[in-house]
Amino acid sequence: MFDRATIIDEAFTARVRAHDLPATLTETAPAMADLPGEVLLHLFETQMMSRHLDLMARRSKGRTFYSIGSSGHEGMATLARASRLTDMAFLHYRDGAFLIERKRSVSGQTALYDMALSFAAAAEDPVSGGRHKVLGGADIFVPPQTSTIASHLPRAVGAAHSIALARKLKPAAATLPRDAVILCSFGDASANHSTAQGAINAASWAAWQQRPMPIVFICEDNDIGISVRTPAGWIKAAFGSRPGLTYMACDGRDIADALRGTRSAVDHARRTQSPVFLHMKTVRLMGHAGADIEAAYTDVSEIEAGERNDPLLHTARHVIEAGLMAPEEIVVLYETVRARVARVAADAQARPKLASAGEVMAPLIPSKKTSTTVEAPAGESSPAKTKTGAGVTMQAPEKGKPVPLARHLNLALADLMRDHPEAVVFGEDVGRKGGVYSVTTGLQKTFGPARVLDTLLDEQTILGLALGLSQNGFLPIPEIQFLAYLHNAGDQLRGEAATLPFFSNGQYTNPMVLRIAGLAYQKGFGGHFHNDNSFSALRDIPGIVIACPSHGPEGARMLRECVRLAHEERRVVVFLEPIALYMTADLHEEGDGKWLSPYRGPDEDHTVRFGEIGHHGDGRELCILTYGNGYYLSRKAAKIIAERYNFRPRIIDLRWLHPLPREAILKQVKTCRNVLIVDESRRTGSLSEALVTMIAESGLKPGLSRVTAEDSFIPLGPAATQVLPSVDQIVEAAARLCGWSAGGTGRKEPERKETGR
Amino acid sequence: MSERKTAVVVCPGRGTYASAELGYLARHHGQRKDFIAMLDALRDRDGQTPISALDGAKKFSLRQHTTSENASLLIFACAIADFMAIDREKWDIVAVTGNSMGWYLALTAGGALTPENGARLVNTMGTLMQGEGKGGQIVYPVVDADWQPDVVREALVNDAIDSAKNIHHSIRLGGMRVLGAEARGLKALEEALPAEDRFPMRLANHAAFHTPLLSHVPPMARAALPADLFARPSLPLIDGQGTQHSPWSSDIARLYDYTLGAQIDTPFDFSRAIEVAAKDYAPDAFILLGPGTTMGAPVAQELIRWRWRGLTGKGAFKERQARDPLFLSMGMEEQRSLVTG
Repeated sequence: MFDRATIIDEAFTARVRAHDLPATLTETAPAMADLPGEVLLHLFETQMMSRHLDLMARRSKGRTFYSIGSSGHEGMATLARASRLTDMAFLHYRDGAFLIERKRSVSGQTALYDMALSFAAAAEDPVSGGRHKVLGGADIFVPPQTSTIASHLPRAVGAAHSIALARKLKPAAATLPRDAVILCSFGDASANHSTAQGAINAASWAAWQQRPMPIVFICEDNDIGISVRTPAGWIKAAFGSRPGLTYMACDGRDIADALRGTRSAVDHARRTQSPVFLHMKTVRLMGHAGADIEAAYTDVSEIEAGERNDPLLHTARHVIEAGLMAPEEIVVLYETVRARVARVAADAQARPKLASAGEVMAPLIPSKKTSTTVEAPAGESSPAKTKTGAGVTMQAPEKGKPVPLARHLNLALADLMRDHPEAVVFGEDVGRKGGVYSVTTGLQKTFGPARVLDTLLDEQTILGLALGLSQNGFLPIPEIQFLAYLHNAGDQLRGEAATLPFFSNGQYTNPMVLRIAGLAYQKGFGGHFHNDNSFSALRDIPGIVIACPSHGPEGARMLRECVRLAHEERRVVVFLEPIALYMTADLHEEGDGKWLSPYRGPDEDHTVRFGEIGHHGDGRELCILTYGNGYYLSRKAAKIIAERYNFRPRIIDLRWLHPLPREAILKQVKTCRNVLIVDESRRTGSLSEALVTMIAESGLKPGLSRVTAEDSFIPLGPAATQVLPSVDQIVEAAARLCGWSAGGTGRKEPERKETGR
Repeated sequence: MSERKTAVVVCPGRGTYASAELGYLARHHGQRKDFIAMLDALRDRDGQTPISALDGAKKFSLRQHTTSENASLLIFACAIADFMAIDREKWDIVAVTGNSMGWYLALTAGGALTPENGARLVNTMGTLMQGEGKGGQIVYPVVDADWQPDVVREALVNDAIDSAKNIHHSIRLGGMRVLGAEARGLKALEEALPAEDRFPMRLANHAAFHTPLLSHVPPMARAALPADLFARPSLPLIDGQGTQHSPWSSDIARLYDYTLGAQIDTPFDFSRAIEVAAKDYAPDAFILLGPGTTMGAPVAQELIRWRWRGLTGKGAFKERQARDPLFLSMGMEEQRSLVTG
């Protein structure tokens, strides 16, 4: 009773032979004239290939490593037939039949072998290189997806947005044709996920405003998510009348109706440039996965009812009724495909697996862009120049005048957008308002609303837009308004952006520079959500880069380097901007203006490279390792330490918070007797722990201490500083660590004059 | 069915009937009188030397045996007769492919063309090429002595093509690359590619097949050969772009368009066809139809590139062939007997 695979397998041949085939399910099935015989048979063969791969996977435990199958969803093969190769597809994990059909449309593809390699986690799997059983391939326009529920939908919406944008901006590295449609499939259960809801809402939001959004959402409704039934009629009720979204339905169990539905949906999206929600009825056969005993939560009668509507049986009915094959010929084909899959799978299972951590991790850092794919700089002939500001310099009336960090970043962004016509800035309030802290001020006016875009209030959509844009040749520079707002969308970085190079074996990357305004110490605008001081959730993500400036000129230089990393090295970069320092002018005393500097453009400034740390002072008694606001506070503390104890600490601005520039840090630590870590993040889980560990593991044995924020959220008003490192704490911790007492009784270092930065 | 071994059949191209093959038909296929008579009648109708006479000539003559109008159908006769001789009780043929002109033979072996229609196609194309063929072909190796890919040689070939407008890719043939050009281009190639053994080697009586130099031929071919010659194949076919044509669901119009279109004037990727055959059909063996024995090396070289079934180089190939051959060449007596039973 539990071996539904065998029951379904045997039932197919028995029922075909007995001509015991299910009756038609739909009145809307087109005349067979619309489905030429060779197309029907091609789809039927694809459906059988997909089925036999599933059956093989169920029966090869220990030799294959993934058993979530596509059985019952084989109607999705029609979508590959209804769409173009260049209609980029973001697939549900049950879409093996789509993938096979699309691969079969391309010369020289080996659909069965490639799928068999991925089931076997073989290192030669052309999609993930043996890292996951994912459906994908750069040559068939299918960026591979993993199993995170509905996490690919925001990316798909971003890719759909990119198509019209590319028509306008013409990025040199665009991969999608101007009339492409994006395909995005998912299950009925995951349609309820906030990520899916947000993405579909974003597509509707765009369409409502007549913005082009050529996308087909395909909801493959098999009525169940693992063991929980979708309420009857729910999907239609929930998505049937959304603004701007055209709802269509088809029965994926019936190949003719599925082809009618997928063709209508794709054609509508292409013709109207608007989103379509295609509700495709499917049936889940063989349970959720290999280990899932469906009978534990579903009546056998219900399971059998589903199996009676096996899509392959429905296709067999069409084939026989059209006189294309006799029942026995269908059985021969079914057995021929089975034998072929078995042979191919045996070969695939014998191929080598990834055999070392180095092999596994190789694509975490993407290979650099080859010279042939680097876009040419915008020239005088740039067709989009007048509308999009390529080659245009934003007016900076204060040229030569000292300005704070926010203005440095603003002017650096303008220069970067001038030099990178494929760069696009977007986020909440970044356009007309110019950002809540004016970091994007003037950009929309200079570069136009296509390149500087106000998004709706949804961080998942913002990051999804970045992901989708980067797949069509753009350089996204999204903004998350406050660090605390990132967390509701964290999976778009963690599960999507960071994993794509890994699961595509480097075939796909998500170059972007994600600007996040964050960290604490804001005066006058408080509360946790505008002063979040924790970015630990980002720090363990393999492959991404986190940068944090503390000062204007450094900020501009680092931002340029981050854009270079994204553009040339295809990296995902998080640029964490300390809000409290945006407008900070003074260092030691009110009016001293020591935290201001004139802006210098990229041609007249020096560079800061990835991993290059900053340092102030070269004392050997005390080294302070810090970043962001901590660096600013440490500079203040240093003056007091010099006055009170007559020591001049060496202050290291880490700048690059992930991965930590280990060698550069240890080189500094090595020459100092004591190390004080000033970390404005929480005591638990913050960078300070990683730094202590790094120093301990290096074998160096300096005196070591930390000043960190408390393990707390940030309260409103003056109380905020109660839980954050202060200048006084730094001075006291330094004195305690070094054994100083007031009046300078400790060891002395020669007096030096402060040189500034 | 499970008792049978599976095989992919590989059909040979032009240039496989050499002096050693003289008398091949008579030697192996004397009993296939009807088949040979059908071919002779076709030749006779067009006023051409009968196949049986070519095969039965006392002496091998380059002029007589390697020109397009004669060699094409002669090779067809030997190869298709070999295909008929395969013991199908022992061998389950899971796909058919071929090199260059061998694609026409594959269409015939795979049932997309009847033997009569296949013969008509081959003879028509052979005759057409005799009159319309332009330029020639040069072969150059892109593997080393152990049949490992040699990136330096590969780069030399690519550079030669990239640096001249009149030199074209013609065939990826395992460890060999075939280039097509007119006389000046061929000469330039001979000067550009370092000489080694017989290479760069011109192929006698070959035109610049599978290159733009033959772009005038497809309309002529389509005028001479109607689409209704073609039928749905009875075996899976793999063409010179690596496209699979299923016996269940082939689009016959596509098969026709490719055969008398892109196949003629765009590069023929035999290597890809072999890769697809090995990976997506996973046969127990490759059966290489005669005449000749020249197809074994390119097939093995391509599969060494993929480390297929433990083939890591020429040494491993030789060892495997001696022990339990993966490649059965019907032009070699001892291997032929494994195929014909």
